[in-house]
Amino acid sequence: MSDTDPTSFGAEQLGNEPVVETPEDLAEALGADPNAPKTIDTENKRLDDGVNRCPKCASTDIQLRPSTGMLVCLFCRHEWSEERVEERIAGNGSLQDLKGTHIASGATAINTEAAGVLTLKCAGCGSEVIVNIDETTSARCHWCRHVLSVNEQVPNGAVPDAVLPFSLTHDQALAAIKQFAGKRKLFAHRKFKQEFAPENVVGVYLPYMIIDSNASADVVGKGEIETRRYTRGTGDNKTTYYDADVYDVARHVDFTVDDLIIESSADRANMNTFVNTNNVINTILPFDTKNAVEWNANYLVGFTSEKRDQDTDAVQPVLEHQLLSIARSEVMLSTRAYDRGVRWETERLDVHGTRWVSMYLPVWLYSYYHVSNGKPMVHYIAVNGRTGETMGSVPVSHPRLLFAALTIGTFVETIALAILWATI
Amino acid sequence: MSALLGSAADIANTILATEVSGDDGGGLFWLLVSGPASAVTTYMMIYRYYRNTDKSHSFERETAIESQPITGSDNKVDERNGTTDTSIPGDNREDHRARVRRLP
Repeated sequence: MSDTDPTSFGAEQLGNEPVVETPEDLAEALGADPNAPKTIDTENKRLDDGVNRCPKCASTDIQLRPSTGMLVCLFCRHEWSEERVEERIAGNGSLQDLKGTHIASGATAINTEAAGVLTLKCAGCGSEVIVNIDETTSARCHWCRHVLSVNEQVPNGAVPDAVLPFSLTHDQALAAIKQFAGKRKLFAHRKFKQEFAPENVVGVYLPYMIIDSNASADVVGKGEIETRRYTRGTGDNKTTYYDADVYDVARHVDFTVDDLIIESSADRANMNTFVNTNNVINTILPFDTKNAVEWNANYLVGFTSEKRDQDTDAVQPVLEHQLLSIARSEVMLSTRAYDRGVRWETERLDVHGTRWVSMYLPVWLYSYYHVSNGKPMVHYIAVNGRTGETMGSVPVSHPRLLFAALTIGTFVETIALAILWATI
Repeated sequence: MSALLGSAADIANTILATEVSGDDGGGLFWLLVSGPASAVTTYMMIYRYYRNTDKSHSFERETAIESQPITGSDNKVDERNGTTDTSIPGDNREDHRARVRRLP
């Protein structure tokens, strides 16, 4: 009989061999980097590049019907939808258990060397059709008129993991834009009013990264609590003084964030309001991303789209900024006792796990090119293609605005002088 | 336009509510600058209403966030007596997006 502790039997038998219990352990045992990003395959295996037919009548004339958010066959009117991706990507696990970096296959690094064109063989007539995948994901065969679509995830960022179809119709978007601009007529630039043509609104799928995160944050600073308030001086020379206790304040928060939406197009991510109006498109977020479906190029038929050109590495600093902002927002209520405020001085963020999904989100966009003082700018009025939330930028007529401001200023100053005159 | 007249009336009411006396240098100053100040405020308010340059997605409130109970510490380290500041200098409690020194 051995004196060995029975609980150590397994370890003794295995010697220095690593114990394989989790996929991470297995990866380590096989010599792989356990911290390397893990890929989630989101490719729609049911679809190939080329002809994708209606499941009922085999026609290829398919497009989205926004009023239902479903695909409709233009030949037999059959309607259907692709599968939701949420269950496939997130599964049933809690976000608190999210560890490491998980990147869905449509969000992996963009290969700038990837070919910008793809040759598809038409299954209808056998001819070869070239599709410029930098600009579109479907094309019509010029011989037999079949619609050919690109569904495989080409590494140029054109095919995302998922798409959230439009559910707001063109007419609804038109009404929202008219209402928004209608409330801003008085000081709008004369040319904007003359050239206002809301029927030119276009449906655009814009690329975003949808990110789940499991993180912790620490913030440290100083806080003050008022202990006494008193007034010194007499007559008109009274001054209020304050006594306060000063505290070192530290807070820690563990938190998870579900479906944070961040722009993955460099152009849209630039929100310098001196040179563009991208901030209005950012304002119409969020979307009901849980209802996004598997990619099918037919969802884009009749709409335009913008290709993703940002990888996870480029979006990471924005993600960290937003996670720190969320952490600061979350700890705010716990500092209510500091009635003279808190000055945070340092902050730290530990990101335990992230899950990245590339998604096309639907936006109705009215754009107006305007040059003011030699400075060109595109003014957008954007409507969320799911919720209808509307935000926009309307160029103003500076002379009219100045006139209104001076009128108000003169009116107020006249009253002020009258009061002064009456009291002297 | 009715909103504009409303804001002008508000400003006028504020002035009327201000007690003014000949010796009150501060009151006189505010009375004299009230006209230019209201002109600038009007300009900025209308400009923002049209251009919405201050708007962005409120991800702190509009995203699904689950936090565990907040932990931390509060230690009194000093007293500040006789200050005329109405709040702690550099108060950034509500300015969540203003980044401070990041620790590794």
